[in-house]
Amino acid sequence: MEPTAIRVPYVALPLRAARVKRELMAAIEKVVDHGVYILGPEVGDFERCFARYCGTRYAVGVGDGTSALILTLKGLGVGPGDEVITAPNSFVASASSAALLGATPRFVDVRREDMNMDPALLEGAISPRTKAIVPVHLAGHPADMEPILKIGERYGIPVVEDAAQAVGTTYHGKRAGSLGRAGCFSLHPLKNLHALGDAGVIATDDEGLYQWLLKARNHGLRSRDEVEFWSPNSRLDTLQAAVLSVMLEHLDGWIRERRELAEQFKAGLRDVVRVPDEAPGCFHTYQTFVVLAERRNALIDHLRERGVDAKVHYPLAIHMQPAARSLGHRPDAFPVTYELADRVLSLPIYGEMTPEQRAAVIDGVRSFYGA
Amino acid sequence: MRIPYNYLDRQFGPAETESILDDLRALVRTGEFTIGPPVLEFERRLGAMIGVKHAIGTNTGTDALILALKALSIGPGDEVITQVNTFYATAGAIVAVGARPVFVDVDDQYGIDARLIEAAITPRTKVILPVHWAGLPPDMPAIMDCARRRGLYVVEDACPATGAAYAGKAAGSFGDLAAFSMHPLKPLHVWGDGGAIVTDDDRAARWLRLYRNHGMVNRDEIEMWGVNQRLQTLQAVVANRVLDRVEGWVDRRIEIAGCLDRGLADVPQVRVPPRPPERRNAFQLYIVRCERREELLKYLATQDVEAKVHYPIPLHLQPAARALGYKRGDFPVAEAQAEDIVTLPGHQFLTDAEVDYMIDRVRRFYRR
Repeated sequence: MEPTAIRVPYVALPLRAARVKRELMAAIEKVVDHGVYILGPEVGDFERCFARYCGTRYAVGVGDGTSALILTLKGLGVGPGDEVITAPNSFVASASSAALLGATPRFVDVRREDMNMDPALLEGAISPRTKAIVPVHLAGHPADMEPILKIGERYGIPVVEDAAQAVGTTYHGKRAGSLGRAGCFSLHPLKNLHALGDAGVIATDDEGLYQWLLKARNHGLRSRDEVEFWSPNSRLDTLQAAVLSVMLEHLDGWIRERRELAEQFKAGLRDVVRVPDEAPGCFHTYQTFVVLAERRNALIDHLRERGVDAKVHYPLAIHMQPAARSLGHRPDAFPVTYELADRVLSLPIYGEMTPEQRAAVIDGVRSFYGA
Repeated sequence: MRIPYNYLDRQFGPAETESILDDLRALVRTGEFTIGPPVLEFERRLGAMIGVKHAIGTNTGTDALILALKALSIGPGDEVITQVNTFYATAGAIVAVGARPVFVDVDDQYGIDARLIEAAITPRTKVILPVHWAGLPPDMPAIMDCARRRGLYVVEDACPATGAAYAGKAAGSFGDLAAFSMHPLKPLHVWGDGGAIVTDDDRAARWLRLYRNHGMVNRDEIEMWGVNQRLQTLQAVVANRVLDRVEGWVDRRIEIAGCLDRGLADVPQVRVPPRPPERRNAFQLYIVRCERREELLKYLATQDVEAKVHYPIPLHLQPAARALGYKRGDFPVAEAQAEDIVTLPGHQFLTDAEVDYMIDRVRRFYRR
């Protein structure tokens, strides 16, 4: 008889949710019972827990990770005519947040080692119009913040961390999101800490920014009847906040499981692909497990035939997107990003993976290279 | 007897709450949290209910307004005409796209005075943005006529008015686009924030679907810079259940408003607005004008009647509006109403006895 074919989906959200479903539903029910759906007590509870987790004085829950970036940049005064520096190999929101405020995104190429903003190239991108530097902690590995923060300080430009993929990540003992002026997190379902839908949060020590953000996410309201400035509605849903507090309790355990699996993958694959490593002093949370692979697209097909679902983050760098046409960059304007785009491959990684599935991932990659 | 303004604890019986929670459990099992099947179902059903081709779910009603304006390429240098006494988000949305809000005074039903719109039009005017304020459709035929004559777009702020209609035609089906809010205190609502845009325009609908989701044509390609303002799938589950009930809830609100109208008709200190028969008012807010308002509010509070004011400060007098250059006296009707309007609880879960109690307490206050 044929052995049952193994399937390894890229994500397994229902398995994750199943582990805490009773707690989740109880938290949701509590909200339904008290009926305070808008900025209910669960929002403040989550914000306090999250700030404590990040090691910042404040946290502000918002509707999604993109809004977290947009509101934070706006709060720091970014607007038309300004420039915001970020990495070109990230999710589009890292750059679109600036573009949507009327500013121009400026890109700094990344380093091959950690695929994050190359601090050595940062200074060359600064202009008199630069209003913010937005390093991304891609895939859960921190950007090299110390030199970036130094440059920001020297030029008097605030550093906003795009920590959308990096909840729990640390850099020399400090949590991602607590290093710059503010840290912007996405809590999208594919993130290590996630809601059952869209959600985001901003961490900061800056009291002025914090007070502004509380109003900015809620119509600019200073009280029920007074609007201090025009602003949209980008509140964190109370239901999602209730869910997030449950998830946060389990986060460190889930990260531990991910790191164990990452170690297994690294040991099993080190001789056939470039596996991700931690830079000294860095704690990687493996939001995505990205390897550099030769003949990447053929490898994806090979894995698919063996039931393993792998993805590419991202095949088209931001500066090459149709939306970025007006910025006028050539595809190879950022050579490392350009080169990596053809080689990066994200393997499925989640603690719920069975030993058979783990073996299927490793064997799938190895067999492609005849190893 | 306690007459709460907020009715959310009476919304669903235990059995129905449990059955919605079952739907949520089922969603958690599928893990399809981002524009999942309940969102698509909701969009289909809302479009059918309003009688338009497309409905696009958004994260909030404010987003719905902002995106609707953006879909028409409204931006810096443009002017958008709206009424002066609405919720802040109406003006906030106009400013959010870089345009300038131009306010118009209101009529005796608290809605935009359609006769004053023409005079507010300038060469920069691009859009008329009437609000179905408090659930009442304004004079939509006159507004549409004016817009067509002057070559302007109409975006309906139907945020508070799901279930409302003018001469049998649903609020939200008149203009080029319309925005709905599903905030918990709206007739069609969810357990948190939610919104939707409706339109018959295929191009606008396609653009909106892209823009609310990062501009993504597919997983890897971004056609334009977009935002993330998707309707939460979790909330769409709730919205689909509320959709079944919203017409009935509005019927009950109309019934209660009728009782309040009759009960207060002969109190000389209370002014009930006219109720034109061609308009189906969703009564998201039941507003009357009352002499000695602050005293009345205090008295009602001691009688456990939770009355409110929507809103004591009109938009042009808000600190945020300073740069627009308006001053007190520019909108005399709205300013006068801001001094004496009172919102009485008028939600669908009030019992007849509670309504009678409320009428009795208002009458008693003025008899003292």
